Amino acid sequence: MFACIFIPDFSVQTIIRFEPELRACPVAVLTGRPPLKKVMALNERARQTGVEVGATKSQLEAWENLVLRTRSESQETSAHAALLDCAQSFSPEVEDTSPGTVLLNLAGLETLLGPLPKIAHDLAQRVSQLGLEANLAVAANPDAALLAARGFSGVTLIPAGREAERLGDLPVEVLLESFSSDVEEGARWVETFDRWGIRKLRALAALPELPVSERLGQQGLRLQRLARGAASRNLRVLEPRLIFAESVELEYPIVLLEPLAFLLNRMLEQVCARLRQRALAVQELHLNLEFATTRPDGCASFARTLTQTFTRTLPLPTPMLDAKVFLKLLQLDLQAHPPGAPIAKIHLSADPARPRVLQSGLFQPIFPEPEKLELTLARITGIVGEGRVGSVELLDTHREGAFAVRHFAPAEPEVKHEVKPSGKRKKDMFVPENDRVCELEEEKPEENAKENAQEKMSAVIALRLFRPPLGATVTLREAKPVRMRCREREDIAGEIVWTAGPWRSSGDWSEQEGWSREEWDIAVPAKSSCQLPVPSCQSDKRERTMELILYRLVQDKLSGNWFVEGTYD
Amino acid sequence: MYVELHSRSAFSFLEGASIPEELVAVCANLGMPAMALLDRDGVYGSPRFHLAAKKARIKAHIGAEVTVASGQWSVVRSSGPMPRLALRPFERHVGVEESSGLVLTTDHWPLATEFRLPLLVASRTGYQNLCRLITKMKLRAGHKEGAFASDLDFIEYADGLICLTGGEEGPLAAALKQGGPQAAFEAVKRLAEIFGRSNVGQSNVYVELQRHFRREEEYRNRVAIEIAEALRLPLLATNGVNYSTPRERELADAFTALRHHRTLATAGRLLAPNADRYLKSPAAMRTLFADFPNAIANTVELSSRLEFTLNDLGYEFPRYPVPEGETMMSFLRERTREGMQNRYGREDAELKKRARRQIERELSLIEKLKLAGYFLIVWDLVRFCREQKILAQGRGSAANSAVCYSLGITAVDPIGMELLFERFLSEERGEWPDIDLDLPSGDERERVIQYVYQRYGPRGAAMTANVITYRNRMAAREMGKALGFDPETLKRISAAVATWEFKDENDALDRRLRDAGLDLTHPRIRKYFELCLAAQDLPRHLGQHSGGMVICEGRLDSVVPLEPASMPGRVVVQWDKEDCADMGIIKVDLLGLGMMAALKDSLELIRNHYHEEVDLAHLPADDPVVYSTLQKADTVGMFQVESRAQMACLPRLRPQRFYDIVVQVAIIRPGPIVGNMVNPFLKRRQGREAVTYPHPSLETVLGRTLGVPLFQEQLLRMAMITANFTGGEAEELRRAMGFKRSEARMKPIEEKLRAGMTRNGICGETQEQIIQSITSFALYGFPESHAASFALIAYASAYLKCHYLAAFTAALLNNQPMGFYHPATIVKDAQRHGLKMLPMDVTRSDWKCSLETVASCQLSVASKGKGMQDVENLAVRLGLKYARGLREPAGQALVRERSLAPFASVQDLARRVPELRKDELTTLAEIGALNAVASGQWSVASTNQSEEFVGLSTAHGPLSTASFHRRDALWQVERAVRWPGPLLDELPEIDGESPLAAMTDEERLVADFRATGLTVGPHPMQYRRAEMKRMGIYRASDLAHLPNGRRLRIGGCVIARQRPGTAKGMMFMSLEDETGIANAIVAPDLLQKNRVLLISERFLMIEGILQNQDNVIHIRAEKVSPLRVTRAETASHDFH
Repeated sequence: MFACIFIPDFSVQTIIRFEPELRACPVAVLTGRPPLKKVMALNERARQTGVEVGATKSQLEAWENLVLRTRSESQETSAHAALLDCAQSFSPEVEDTSPGTVLLNLAGLETLLGPLPKIAHDLAQRVSQLGLEANLAVAANPDAALLAARGFSGVTLIPAGREAERLGDLPVEVLLESFSSDVEEGARWVETFDRWGIRKLRALAALPELPVSERLGQQGLRLQRLARGAASRNLRVLEPRLIFAESVELEYPIVLLEPLAFLLNRMLEQVCARLRQRALAVQELHLNLEFATTRPDGCASFARTLTQTFTRTLPLPTPMLDAKVFLKLLQLDLQAHPPGAPIAKIHLSADPARPRVLQSGLFQPIFPEPEKLELTLARITGIVGEGRVGSVELLDTHREGAFAVRHFAPAEPEVKHEVKPSGKRKKDMFVPENDRVCELEEEKPEENAKENAQEKMSAVIALRLFRPPLGATVTLREAKPVRMRCREREDIAGEIVWTAGPWRSSGDWSEQEGWSREEWDIAVPAKSSCQLPVPSCQSDKRERTMELILYRLVQDKLSGNWFVEGTYD
Repeated sequence: MYVELHSRSAFSFLEGASIPEELVAVCANLGMPAMALLDRDGVYGSPRFHLAAKKARIKAHIGAEVTVASGQWSVVRSSGPMPRLALRPFERHVGVEESSGLVLTTDHWPLATEFRLPLLVASRTGYQNLCRLITKMKLRAGHKEGAFASDLDFIEYADGLICLTGGEEGPLAAALKQGGPQAAFEAVKRLAEIFGRSNVGQSNVYVELQRHFRREEEYRNRVAIEIAEALRLPLLATNGVNYSTPRERELADAFTALRHHRTLATAGRLLAPNADRYLKSPAAMRTLFADFPNAIANTVELSSRLEFTLNDLGYEFPRYPVPEGETMMSFLRERTREGMQNRYGREDAELKKRARRQIERELSLIEKLKLAGYFLIVWDLVRFCREQKILAQGRGSAANSAVCYSLGITAVDPIGMELLFERFLSEERGEWPDIDLDLPSGDERERVIQYVYQRYGPRGAAMTANVITYRNRMAAREMGKALGFDPETLKRISAAVATWEFKDENDALDRRLRDAGLDLTHPRIRKYFELCLAAQDLPRHLGQHSGGMVICEGRLDSVVPLEPASMPGRVVVQWDKEDCADMGIIKVDLLGLGMMAALKDSLELIRNHYHEEVDLAHLPADDPVVYSTLQKADTVGMFQVESRAQMACLPRLRPQRFYDIVVQVAIIRPGPIVGNMVNPFLKRRQGREAVTYPHPSLETVLGRTLGVPLFQEQLLRMAMITANFTGGEAEELRRAMGFKRSEARMKPIEEKLRAGMTRNGICGETQEQIIQSITSFALYGFPESHAASFALIAYASAYLKCHYLAAFTAALLNNQPMGFYHPATIVKDAQRHGLKMLPMDVTRSDWKCSLETVASCQLSVASKGKGMQDVENLAVRLGLKYARGLREPAGQALVRERSLAPFASVQDLARRVPELRKDELTTLAEIGALNAVASGQWSVASTNQSEEFVGLSTAHGPLSTASFHRRDALWQVERAVRWPGPLLDELPEIDGESPLAAMTDEERLVADFRATGLTVGPHPMQYRRAEMKRMGIYRASDLAHLPNGRRLRIGGCVIARQRPGTAKGMMFMSLEDETGIANAIVAPDLLQKNRVLLISERFLMIEGILQNQDNVIHIRAEKVSPLRVTRAETASHDFH
């Protein structure tokens, strides 16, 4: 016999699980990007008030008592994990069917846990203790149990051989919701059955098999077998999760990183040894530190009153198995994020994964080992801060210098099976517009020589940016800057003897982070600088040679602030 | 001074963000004396630009940006020494790399991708060349392909055109990007070779400088200046305007995103970098180009060279070819004389004399205005229709002309009806006459259109365009797309934004968006709302007008560019109907009228099934059945008198003769309603109010309408009599007060009117009263001639419905959509009149609805009234075209195959008609159209199956099919569409009997409405009548017998919702049940409270007070609630 636990309105229930006071309220769960959030799930009370899935947030204003919550995937994950846990505590054979749905094999449990009704009742009670209201069904095969759990509320027991009779009252929609992976395909089946006047599983089950096979094919037959509760299959048993974790409870609290590192090293070696035995590596490391609490009398207690915790997770770009590297990574991470309290308990766990296997090519350049690279990146992150290390990716916008930082991961080397010496090659082309590297362009080899010659001939002036831009005070005359002084760098100041501009740009006006700026290229006399032949103002066509420094001066039009953004070589 | 010579309007579809009028208004405010409009590949906006500029006293220069594609333009390298462009070092860093040092080995430089060549029109020749150039490139392009010009085209059409080197999309920028300064030099040089110099040595190529505060643009300018110096070409400053003011940049960005099928968030650098492409003031442009004052000065110099304006269009209406020795006028006289003999030959001498006098007067005026050719061309069209047996009838003011009547263009006798000729044509007005021809919609109209193309050549005639503009719904949808809203949200917004004709504060766009669930306080949604408002009325794309055709002497493509229409074999001009009229281009409207097609089809069905010949021109004039039917407002399906408002008026007006129908057609119009003319007229008609006249002298004019002015002609005559206006002056008065009402234009005419009246001794209150009655309905009044033309068709439709119901109903159903009601209502109305409607059956049905002789049938009520003519018992068989989703080729293939041999089984049908798809066969099975085939398949009939429509005689199919139900057919279809392969194909099904249960009544209803939109079975309300009775719901037919003022409940299927602009926010609803139609009036406050219910529910129960005045019955709604009758998707005709 098999049991199925099904949590109706799973998204809503996972939220109510954490806010039990909402149990008596109509609750709607929203999803989507603001301002276009929509209802994705409702509880029964909300449905009774007339709210519908798909309604927008502002449409829901009419329902005064309706409680709105945003969908929480993490809560759903933990609720589902709890559900699996509960099922596994009853049976070793558990199938993780879908979020909020679990199947378990009850064969042989009767001697251990009592008769089936008792098992079902206990199971339902245990789920209820998790804060979830479940439908539970027991049947001779997993799919019948699943159908019954989706179709009937509460606890349902279907005696063997009476599946068709009990399931017959269920609408065909339940069947298709349960077993049709494709929504469109499901809708097509519903339409066909509706045309045929088949609304209940009983009617579908009663159709003659051969004609059904002629008309609906094997898929139709399968649905019919399911409708009769006659389909049998094995559970896709959830393999018990291998846990690679080590814990240490301390006699005395640790305050410094060094002793902590000592302990961590031992724990990491243990974990790595276990993983090595199973030919596995680490995908992610989790460190959980529990803090010691202090008694009111001021004495630190190491008894058993442990409340606060500190958690760090280290995701690794590729599976690794080097305890020393892990230790270094953890040390760097803890340096960047110190726990901030004496540590009373250490719990270290590793998510296992298959180790990376790579065959390097004989003629391929050697990339840094991922372990070392990750270590280096972690070190740099520790210095410059998170979100500031990685591959820079230019964004397609007129916004000056707009970019995103992606996690740096070197591309797998491209294997070239054939190298044609006369073939085309790709070349980066520099286009000064917006100072960005543009797309790769294929060119003929014979043109390359000319290009190279041309590159040598043409001088490209570079702009050295100040990061961040330097705030400046600017004096204007007839809307043109005539004098500027940099507040942070005294050496950047003076009369502006030449200007070009303004160069205007603005954008993202439809977003809250809209921007508008004006740039000026200016020349300011310098005491010691390279000599540049500088074109005079537009009205004056003569040329003269002065010791000047060229800057890019920028005004943010929205705030009115001036900045010196960079200097030209 | 500065003149903006490069600007785009919103007629560069999705590129410009301002309409031409806005550009002109801003230009005038900035004090510019002239401006040029260069839209993309066309002169779409030029008439509006020209007229607005004329009003603002600005010179409107015409031009266009013409798209050239890569590969269609080659720059030939000159043989002489090439000047090296030496850019100063500092300037180099801001632009692309210089390639001047490169030695080129090829002789051609293909330019990068497409670019736009800006062209300005200098002379009429130049305009003609531009039009021909655009026409050539447009007509050359394949379906849904971009149109591109080549350098050879420019060589051919360069005369009279001045070329600019363009902005970032111009040839210079394209060449610069591709090949550097040297390529740019060659490109401009090539332009100079093509466009050359004027007779006095002025260059026809101007090197354009634009400054939008972009570095790369400045680099381009430097190159351009050096090229101009090297080639000794003049510089020209422009601002490459895309919109009139900076705030429109946002809309321009949204358009850019839409054009590239992106959202604003993903469009990236396709969007404009800043908001500087607006119309800048001369002072700002002078400052911007202070270093190049000659570039500014040249704008004025070039403006003075552009002599051409649209005043000088050079349009000429085609001459009609006449026999040797004849002039067009003599030929017209002769045709008119012949026609007069035919029309008035049998009339009394007095009428004949009056007709002769009037015709002579009209002919003199036609001769004077040189319009003989126009009349002959329209006559030729009518002659063609007559020869081809195509019904054609002139409508509109042409019916005022005795010449038109004599020539057979119109069917109303203007002499007999004393219609006013000046409404049609007058010397003073200086406008072309307007003749519209009503033709049967569909193929026959298409034949007439093709005849015009064939007669005047593909370049001599074209359809007028229809500029599709952004309205609320389209704006909301497209701007939502630009902002990246998901499809579901867009769908919801579209549904919420639909508005009624009447709009109150609840119909404002912001309110509708709120209804769609959008939070307008959110900045992003607020921006969306602003964009929707900004897009209102801006052109979106070009469509094709339903029937307007323009014809030209010579080549029409010299007057306005032509484009291919989406329908093969048609071309369309770039201007819409109004623009053509404004530009003095004469047009003939060949309008497709569904009712004309229905009448024509009816005549054919009558000929084939009743074996009678009905001549619409000689119908009995005073048929009592027709008038009694009209008086009872039993007019569903009749032309122009079937609407709810018409039905509410008919019992009060009680038409007794033809002129009453003319009045009936004209009275339910906004003019008489707004002018409060309806009630006084009806009261006088019923004898409840004395007939009085504002002045005794007006008795002759207003006598026919009982002292109440109802027609435009009366307005003109009133002015002529009371103020001694000439016919032309009176028409001018009407137009001044008409559609484009203008204070400035109206004031002098009104003063003249008052002065005239005072001279005739009409002063004080009487004068005010007359002026009031003239002004009140001039705006929407209906011309009597037009009403008379429509009344003829209305009478014909009423006559056919009363006497040949089966034929008329079949014809109506075959020409849907048309009229006020859905086919479902027409079917139910016909059934209530005793017509038998047969369901669709693949063994009997044709593609269209057809007539069948049946064994026993009740004749129509009308026929009974006439004495029960013993014509064969005819029933209407629903045609296959009513099966939703069934394609015509598949349907026709089915009919063709059936004619060869009957179908033995569903499998046989599926095999022999492979055109039928599974979904089509399923639909046919679902509505019972395969029952007869299925019955032939099974010898052992499952006689215990429930029958279709048991006991409902009017809706039965042949009894032989009754024991086979729709699900039997569905069961068979499902097997038939899965071909098992040749081996098993002939294998009979072992257990062939269907295990499926027959459909219930409800299921049949659902299937009928889902698959055909109607049912020939009982009305859904009939199934629930007992329940309705228990709820105290009256039937529609009961209402006539209940006392006025009684509170009661009605219930039924909503078949029409209407909220006219003239009804102060009232909503009118029609509810249908099995006995007829009941009407309800919903006040605005009740509507507001129950908006969703009233607008979306299919079946309603309305509780309220019965109003029965003169047999006009309404329920004044006080309470509404939904009625659960069926899940069937019945449809309502809602007038948004």
